Amino acid sequence: MPSDEQLNREFERLLRDPLTRRRLMQRGAAGALSVSALAYLAACGTDEPEGGGGGAKSEDTKAIAKDEIAKSLYFANWTLYIEEDRGTLKEFQKKYGTKVKYVEEINDNNEFFGKVRQQYDRGDSGGRDIHVVTDWMADRMMQLGYVQKFDKSELPNLEANLIERLKSPPFDPKREYSAPWQSGQTGIIYLDDKVKREPKAVDDLFDPAYKGKVTLLSEMRDTVGIVAASLGYDPEKATLDQFMEAVELIDKHVRSGQVRGFTGNEYIKDLPKADSWVVLGWSGDAISLSAEQENIKFVHPESGFHLWTDNMQIPVGAPAAYTAQKFIDFVYDPKVAVDITEYVNYVCPVEGVQEILAKRSPELADSQFIFPDEETLSNAFVFRGLKPDEARELDDAFQRLIGA
Amino acid sequence: MPRALKKTGLPYLLLLPGLGWLLVFFAIPLLIMLLESLKTGAIDTGYTLTWEFANYSNALSDFNDQFLRSFEYAGLATLLAFAIGYPLAYVIAFRGGKYRHALLLAVIVPFFVTYLIRTLSWETILSDSSLVVDTLRTVGLVSEGGRVLDTTASVVAGITYNFLPFMILPLYASLERIDGRLLEAGYDLYGRRRDVFLRVTLPLSMPGVVAGTLLTFIPAAGDFINAELLGTPRQFMIGNVIQSRYLEVADYPTAAALSFLLMAFMLIIVVVWARIAGTEALLGTEGERR
Repeated sequence: MPSDEQLNREFERLLRDPLTRRRLMQRGAAGALSVSALAYLAACGTDEPEGGGGGAKSEDTKAIAKDEIAKSLYFANWTLYIEEDRGTLKEFQKKYGTKVKYVEEINDNNEFFGKVRQQYDRGDSGGRDIHVVTDWMADRMMQLGYVQKFDKSELPNLEANLIERLKSPPFDPKREYSAPWQSGQTGIIYLDDKVKREPKAVDDLFDPAYKGKVTLLSEMRDTVGIVAASLGYDPEKATLDQFMEAVELIDKHVRSGQVRGFTGNEYIKDLPKADSWVVLGWSGDAISLSAEQENIKFVHPESGFHLWTDNMQIPVGAPAAYTAQKFIDFVYDPKVAVDITEYVNYVCPVEGVQEILAKRSPELADSQFIFPDEETLSNAFVFRGLKPDEARELDDAFQRLIGA
Repeated sequence: MPRALKKTGLPYLLLLPGLGWLLVFFAIPLLIMLLESLKTGAIDTGYTLTWEFANYSNALSDFNDQFLRSFEYAGLATLLAFAIGYPLAYVIAFRGGKYRHALLLAVIVPFFVTYLIRTLSWETILSDSSLVVDTLRTVGLVSEGGRVLDTTASVVAGITYNFLPFMILPLYASLERIDGRLLEAGYDLYGRRRDVFLRVTLPLSMPGVVAGTLLTFIPAAGDFINAELLGTPRQFMIGNVIQSRYLEVADYPTAAALSFLLMAFMLIIVVVWARIAGTEALLGTEGERR
């Protein structure tokens, strides 16, 4: 904790420059301001437009300070997103003596955000040291100043081994607030013995022969992005109206009964039972499913597949922020990351894993779904960042469509 | 002594734990929810209280389909549960003999398994290529390529099944209390079986009927698990909307407004039903008057 004197100095410095709420929150993020001071400053904050962009904030915000290695670390992650025996966490404990409290508490970005918003807004992480959220939510967490800035000098593995493609996403160009946990591909999973041909086009999902045997994803960006791409729009640049057109098309097929429903990863149980035949789904699940049942296959839609990344972030107020940073660096050691990739089968963001995996399980190392090459990636899109009001409108339309 | 106790207010003191519980866990949360329902804003910036009564009219116009569907499904399920439950309760009460308690136990025991597991099993039982559905297809009750899971029928069936004991138990309780001599008197007065049933048994079991229908209808109308697991978005009920508004969209004001609207409709339905069936039946005092 900073001393009172430090606090006062920071406070005065803050009062001198004109600030936006956003930058203010990021200073709060450095742990330098009390909540009441923040509230006070926010109230008299100016409306100066954001000029500096990423550069400005990286200069003013304090990075995570050096600290002792904590006894325990709270890691909030999605379900089924690490080895079943938690080997990585045990290795971390062996190396640093820190016991990792691993909580599978995230099922949905919005749901998680709703759960933590009030705490995070007070600068209280609820005990969490690391959380994992998808790109657009990672962006939102940063905009709101809910996450801490990394000290990059403490992250040599991340610096050395993060794959080129993920090094500077638009929302965090220097990777100072987020580090990829896994990426994944959204495409079409299908039952080989039920379809007439390989369902490479999104139109195949809407083929009347599969009426009532099709499910889509309840994650808006996956479903709307893929359908918009099939309409000839580029989800990296499409306008709100173009996304809305995709929503209308989906709506038509929901009304007709073509689309059976919208799922998270529940298609894992629907496909083996043949309750659904052709679904939108995630690459990691597809690989695990087809390992168990060989008639289950995964294909990239010709019009483009969705490539997304889930990112580790350290929330403001994390009790063991320094240790969390150590952990992030730890999983960027390819010898560690390979175990995770071998189990979860998602796209690995760590350089060097493919080589190690080639010796252990060559079929995984060759998979385009885990290590996509340039050619495959040329067909991928990343859903563009939405402005808050766009996001609200689109979310609302989509939620209505999926019956909520 | 009792009089002295009355003066010291002991009865009120005894009420305190119950009232306190209601206050802390019902009245205050309700008030918080009321305020929540009148806010505007967005999840990123937080919600502020602006006394936005339009939240209610918007919620109602946006989700009137789901409201109507909830009452339709709950009504259907209640009728079905009654049609299944009354004969069953009747047989157990009057013809059960020494097996009466065993039969009653057989009604209750399946419900020792948690609600979610039971509904998930229905999902498997009704899945497209399951034994049940294949048989129904062979018999011709389900068209070739047709399905049972993810239809209105499966959702209503699920709700009916899940709330059946709430119908059977009150019916059994009121039927079992009926004095056999009243039935004998009916036969002695040359009443045919049907007359005795309609003029004696049924009226005397009305408290059970009212309690059973209410206990089934009220939770059924607010249910979301059955529609979620056994249905599709086209079967979603108001409970699904509230659930996702709270947890997925994080649109708390709309969710709170919907919850209040649901409570209001429920209250209206209970009052109307009580008017029709009579408050005595509702309070179960009719049976005691004999």
